[in-house]
Amino acid sequence: MARRVAVHLLILGLGLGVFRIAVVPAEVCPVVTTAQASEAVDEAAAWLLRGLGEDGRYVYGYDRDADQVSSDYNGTRHAGVTMALYQYAAAAGRPEVVAATDRGLAFMVDRLLSEGDWQAWLSPGEEVQLGSNALLVAALAMRRQATGDLRYDDVMRGVGRFLLAQQQPDGSMHGYWSPVTRRAVPVQGKFATGEAAWALALLAAAFPGEGWAEASLPTLDYLARRRDRDMGFLTRMPDHWAAYALAELGPGHLDQVRSDYSRRLAGYFGVRLRFEAQRRGSGINLAVRWVPGTPAGVGTAGEGIAAIWRLAQEDERLADLVPNLEDRLACFAGMMVERQSTAAEAAAYPRPGLVQGAWFYRGYVQMDDVQHVLSGLLAAIPLMEAREVAG
Amino acid sequence: MTTALLVIAYLAALNVARTRLGAPEGEGGRARPLVLAGGSLLALGIVAALAGWSGPLLGALQITPETFRIAAGIAAMLAGAYVLVAPRPAAEPAPAGGWAMIWPICFPLLAGPEVMALAVATGSGEGLPPTLAAAGSALAALFLVGLVPRRPLADRVLLWASRVLGLLLLLVGVWLAVDGIRDV
Repeated sequence: MARRVAVHLLILGLGLGVFRIAVVPAEVCPVVTTAQASEAVDEAAAWLLRGLGEDGRYVYGYDRDADQVSSDYNGTRHAGVTMALYQYAAAAGRPEVVAATDRGLAFMVDRLLSEGDWQAWLSPGEEVQLGSNALLVAALAMRRQATGDLRYDDVMRGVGRFLLAQQQPDGSMHGYWSPVTRRAVPVQGKFATGEAAWALALLAAAFPGEGWAEASLPTLDYLARRRDRDMGFLTRMPDHWAAYALAELGPGHLDQVRSDYSRRLAGYFGVRLRFEAQRRGSGINLAVRWVPGTPAGVGTAGEGIAAIWRLAQEDERLADLVPNLEDRLACFAGMMVERQSTAAEAAAYPRPGLVQGAWFYRGYVQMDDVQHVLSGLLAAIPLMEAREVAG
Repeated sequence: MTTALLVIAYLAALNVARTRLGAPEGEGGRARPLVLAGGSLLALGIVAALAGWSGPLLGALQITPETFRIAAGIAAMLAGAYVLVAPRPAAEPAPAGGWAMIWPICFPLLAGPEVMALAVATGSGEGLPPTLAAAGSALAALFLVGLVPRRPLADRVLLWASRVLGLLLLLVGVWLAVDGIRDV
């Protein structure tokens, strides 16, 4: 009988060990201070600004091991980085960042084309994209918040009308417009619809009473109900842009469908960050969880969870999520502050200026990696400050 | 998790029918009542301890309750699938006297890995009182089944009941895992 007991206990012990390693490795969330997070944000913004050329383009990507700067470029990412830098300027109170980022803005504004009553910018070598124009609106909205300067209001409205021209009766959005055929291309962009919903929500905040909020709602409903199925996704897409839009519109515009969508989004971002916290990238953990995720991927989860956190603080229906949202957001901040390349690490590479302050995925960093983590950390800082005040 | 689902989860995890099939029997083909009652109380104590200390336990292991729910779900799915394949437990040699309440009643028949994982998951999620109430109800049902002589309670009936409870456990596991994934 003792042998049978031993066999059962051995199987139980082995099972527990396998579960610990493969199913529930420790979720490690480094604790960092607000000062550390602020410093990380400063370093990230400095990395983006060091890569901003006189022509208004940013460094797109850099392979630190091969010492190779990527020759690729992408208009949507350009607009996203510009938006994040204005976000940083607004949050950190850095007017000199606005002046520098205006070169990135000029790269877009100088390429505006007009059709009917709308305007849109055309990134070189691309079609007119919904996403890049939605993020131009977002960049201008952030610039407006940072400076109070109203000089681009007409551009915001003009590009906003382009977004409306792309919007379909069911709320979906055509992702492109062809300057050759002068028609919308009836194809959706993966993230563009969410970006457009957020841009419309930002327009509503900048220009209340002009109908922009009402225009964003059908698109939000489309995202909540049909987008994933229409685009053939096997799983629901954790769309942080949609989360931004929901938070910007606030509880007053959220019916039950949109509120439920907010809750679902919180779950997607939450599980993404919980699994990210399990990743060490070494030993057995490497075999079961692989390397830490792309900074852009983790950053978008941080941005998304921060957006839903802001919303949940105002919306009673989501109030039960607040403690977990705060834990995940703090965990995101801790992980990413710890993963950022330091000056000491950067010194070991041929071009330390393209390493320091960035987040790398297997030796490579892309502009949107830094952009998304920067935005996520910016959004986490108010929570960290509140926690430090509360002790 | 609703109260009804919680009770179903513990009925399935403690698998009343399968435990009855493996319980040492006394006179008249009934399970030995004191052994069954004692083993059930021990198992309830383990559930209470795990559920009551689930917070500090998960904290020490650096696992969020939401992620542990996924693990508990996987454990339940594996255990449920195993019961579907082997609805009758292996015949374990039972010691004489009261020791049988520890082996094989409490362990391995009742306090298996799926029950322990469920106790931690529901203790951290639903709380200690609902967990105890659900586990207590399931163990009370086991005790009542144990009092029924085997002659009217044919093996065939218990085996099918065991399979049904195994299937329910598998479904509970799926529900738990999905809940843990969707949670923040």
